[in-house]
Amino acid sequence: MPTISTGAVHSNSMYYELFGVDEASLAAVIAVAMERGADYAELYFQQSRASSISMEDGIISRASSSVDRGVGIRVLVGDQTGYAYSEDLDLEAMRQAARTAASIAAGGGGVPPQGFRGRSRQDLYSIAEPWEAIDVARKLPVVQELDRLTRSKEPAISRVSVNWRDGDSRVLVVNSLGEARADYRPMASIGLSVTAEKGDEIQTGYASRAGRFGVDHYTDELLTELCEEVLDRTMILFEARRPPAGEMPVVLTAGAAGILLHEAIGHGMEADCNRKGASVFSTMLDMKVAEDCVTIVDSALHPFERGAINFDDEGSDVERTVLVENGNLRSYLHDRLSARHYGLEQSTGSGRRQSFRYPPIPRMRCTYMENGPHTRDEIVASVKNGIIAETFTNGQVAIGAGDFTFYVKNGWLIEDGKVTAPIKDVNIIGNGPEALSRITMVADDLRIDPGGWTCGKDGQSVPVSQGLPTTLVSHLTVGGEDA
Amino acid sequence: MRSELLKQAQLAVELGKAAGADDVVAGVSWSRGLKFEWREGRLEKVQESTSRRLGLAVYVDGRFSTCSTNDLDRDRLSGFARDVVALTRCLEVDPHRKITPPELYEGRSTVDLDLVDSTLANLSREQRIDWCREMDECSRSDEIVKTAENWVSDSHGISVRATSNGFEGVEESTGVWLFAEVSAMDGEKRPEAYYYAGGLHLDCLPTPSSIAQEALRRARARIGSEKVSSRRTAMVLDPEVGASFLGRIFGALSGGAIQQKRSYLAESLGKRIGSPLLTLVDDPLLKRGLGSQHYDGQGITCRKRTVIEKGVLRTYFIDTYYGSKLGIDPTTGESSNVIFEHGSGDLASITADVRDGIYVTSWLGGNANMSTGDFSFGLRGHLIENGEIVAPVSEMNVTGNYGEILEKLVVVGNDPVPWSSFRTPTLVFEDVQFSGA
Repeated sequence: MPTISTGAVHSNSMYYELFGVDEASLAAVIAVAMERGADYAELYFQQSRASSISMEDGIISRASSSVDRGVGIRVLVGDQTGYAYSEDLDLEAMRQAARTAASIAAGGGGVPPQGFRGRSRQDLYSIAEPWEAIDVARKLPVVQELDRLTRSKEPAISRVSVNWRDGDSRVLVVNSLGEARADYRPMASIGLSVTAEKGDEIQTGYASRAGRFGVDHYTDELLTELCEEVLDRTMILFEARRPPAGEMPVVLTAGAAGILLHEAIGHGMEADCNRKGASVFSTMLDMKVAEDCVTIVDSALHPFERGAINFDDEGSDVERTVLVENGNLRSYLHDRLSARHYGLEQSTGSGRRQSFRYPPIPRMRCTYMENGPHTRDEIVASVKNGIIAETFTNGQVAIGAGDFTFYVKNGWLIEDGKVTAPIKDVNIIGNGPEALSRITMVADDLRIDPGGWTCGKDGQSVPVSQGLPTTLVSHLTVGGEDA
Repeated sequence: MRSELLKQAQLAVELGKAAGADDVVAGVSWSRGLKFEWREGRLEKVQESTSRRLGLAVYVDGRFSTCSTNDLDRDRLSGFARDVVALTRCLEVDPHRKITPPELYEGRSTVDLDLVDSTLANLSREQRIDWCREMDECSRSDEIVKTAENWVSDSHGISVRATSNGFEGVEESTGVWLFAEVSAMDGEKRPEAYYYAGGLHLDCLPTPSSIAQEALRRARARIGSEKVSSRRTAMVLDPEVGASFLGRIFGALSGGAIQQKRSYLAESLGKRIGSPLLTLVDDPLLKRGLGSQHYDGQGITCRKRTVIEKGVLRTYFIDTYYGSKLGIDPTTGESSNVIFEHGSGDLASITADVRDGIYVTSWLGGNANMSTGDFSFGLRGHLIENGEIVAPVSEMNVTGNYGEILEKLVVVGNDPVPWSSFRTPTLVFEDVQFSGA
C-alpha cells in the first residue's frame, strides 16, 4: 500500500494514488451518484490506522492495532440524503454503492464535474513524523516511564494502568462541484488510571493528555504533570464528601468545565436540530441570552487540539464561529444541508462524521468562552455558600427541553467566600438558556482542557475540545445529600 | 456466507501460525444494515451499510497482541499477520496471557436459539416506507407536535471464530427495529420523547402506529414539567430505565474491576449485597434473546448462572486473563440476557401502592464510581401522590450509594421490556435522596 509522509505536502494526487483512483474514475462514480437527478454528490475516502498499548501491574500486557479503509458516498436532493459506503475501492464496487445512495432521488440525470481542483488551506497539525513511522520501541519507554513515575511518587498507590493510543486518518473529499481536498489527521492520547488504598478505603482516579500531536509531545514535563494531576485528584478523594443537595452557586474552574458550554448551549446550536425547530434555541437567534461578559465560540482553528480540522468532513472551509457575542445569540453551527436551508452562502465548517460509514452532520469542534473582566479570587470570594466544580467525567443534554447535566468528579465547598472541604461524585443539572442567563462572573484565565473529550450524537463519535475561564453560574441544581 | 467466513478465519489462523505465533485466535464478522429515516411527510435519509472485518489475536513467546482490518485480501493478509507477530515480539512477557484452554470450549449447547429471521431478507422498500408513513401520520396527528421523526432499520450479521487449539464457532442473528421521536411545543421549550420496539424477528414488531402513539404520549407527558424541591422519598423505576441503573453493578462484577481494585464488590462473593427480593439470572440460552449466545468472546461455553440469589452474590464475570491474575477459575467474561426472577405486578399495580415518590421515566447524564459504589444521576419523571402518577418533574438528580440502595429495594415487578437483553421490570426503592430546587 502506498504511504504518504506528512509535512507540508498534501497533494491530491498522492491521495488519488493511495486510494487507487484518478479523475476519470472519480467523475464516473459521481456520475452514477447523480444519475437520478441529485443536486449534490460527494465521495469521502478514508484510510485510518490506530494502535494502542496497555500497561497494567507493571507489565506491557497487550498491544492492539487496526486498519480501516473505504469510501462513503452521499447524495443530496433538496434536504433528502442517500448514503452508502463501500469498503472495496474497486470501481465497480464504488459504482454499486453510488447507485444505492442515488436511490433517494427519482428524476433524470445530473451533470458530473469535468475535473477537480484543490484548494489551499492552513495546516493546524503538522507533525514531524507521521504516527505510522513511529516504531513501537519508541512508544514503550514513554508508557513505562509514566508507570514508574506514578508508582514512585505515592506509596498508597496499589494499581496503575497506562493506556496509549495513536493513530492517523487520511481523507480525500471530492464532490460534484469539482472540489477535491486531502488531509492527514493525526491523533494521540495517553491515559493514566490509578487505585489508591488507605486502610480499608479504596479510591480511583484517571486523567489523560490528548491531541493531534506527534511523539515529540511526550516530554518528561508532560508526564510529570499528568502523573501529579492524577495523584492529586485521587488522594484528595479520601477526604472528600458529598455536598448538600439542591440549588446553589457553582464556580466552574478554568479548563474542562467547558463541558458546561458543550451541553448547555453547544448541542442546542447545532443547526440540524434548529432546522427542524427541535431545539430550545430555535427561536432565539439575535436575542440577548446572557450577560455582556459572555462570549462563546466554537472554533476549528486551535492547533493540535482534538477539535482542530483543516477543513470539515464535507470539504468545506472551517472558521471560528461565534455562538454568543457579548450575551447575544449570533450563529448556529452549520453543515452544507443546514446552511442551504437557512439561505447562507457557506456552512460554518461544522459538518463532521465518525468515519466513511456515516453521513456528516453539524458538530462542535473546540468550544470555549472568551475571557471576562473578573479574577478567580474575586469570583470565589463573591460566593457565600456554594461549590467549585473542578474535574468532570461526562455530560448530556436534551436539546428540546434544554435540560443538561454534567458529572463532577472532584470539587470544593465554598463557605462564607472561602474554599473549605473537598467534594466528590455529584451530578449537576440545569436548563441551557436559564444557565446562560445565570452566568454572572467570568475570569481572565481561559484554558483549553488538554484531556481527551469525545462527543456522541446520532450514534457517531467525534473528537472535540472544550475550555473555559473560571466562571460563576449563580445557581444550578447539585446532586448532593441530606436535603 | 457462513462457510466462506469460517474459511477466512481458518486461513488467518494458518497465516498467524506460519508467521511464527504459538497460538492464534481469528474472528471474522460480516454485517449488513439498512435504515430509512422519515420526517415531515417524506423520506429524509436512506443509509445502507455492508461491512466485513477480520480480527486476529496472537500469542508469541508469552507476549500478546490483537489487530483488526477490513482489508481481507489474501495476499495482504499474510503480510498483516507477519507484521502483528513482529510487533508482538517487541512487547513484554505477561505470564497471564494464554489462549483459552480447550476444556472451556467443552459442553457447548447445540440448541437452536432462533436468532435468525430469514424472511427479513424479503422486506421491501415499499414496506419500510409504509411503516414510516404510518408512524409519521400518527405522530403528527396531534397539534402539540412541533416536529416528528421516525426510522425503520433492519440488520443481519454473522460472526465466526476459529483458533489454533481447536475452537470453531459461528453465530448469526438478524434484527428489525422501529423508532419514533416527537418534539412537542411547550412555550420556548420543545420537550422531546421517543419510543422504539423491535427484536430479532419480524413478528416481534408491534404496530408502527402504536410506537408513534407511545412516543406522542410520552412527549405530551413532559409538557409543563417543573423543578420540585429536594426530598427523600420512594423511587419507582420504569421497566425501561432499570437496565442502565442496575447494569452498573455488572461493571463491578468483572474480573478486571476486581483485580484492579475498582469494585466495591471485590470481597462480596457469597455475601449479601442487596435486598432478598433481588434475584438475577444470566441466561445465555434464551430463545430469541437479544443477548443470547452459545459461547462468549473468549470461546468459553455459555451456561445459565445465578448472579444474585435473594440478595446474595453468587458469581463474578471472570475471563481467563483476570482469572489467572486472581488465581481463580474463569466463569465467563460477559453477561448475556439478565433476567429478574420472582417478581410480581406491573407499573400500574405497583405505583397504586406508593403513597409518595418519584417515578423515573428517563435518565439524563450522571455517573457512578464503582470503586466506592457512589452514584449521582440526572432524571426526568413524575411525582407520585397517593398511588397516582401526577405532575412531570425536570432538573432533578438522584444521589446515593449502590451498597446502600440495593438494600432499599422493596418491590420487584414482573413486567420487563422484551426488547432488551437486561430485562428489568418495575422496581421500587424506598428512602432515596433526590435533589431539586
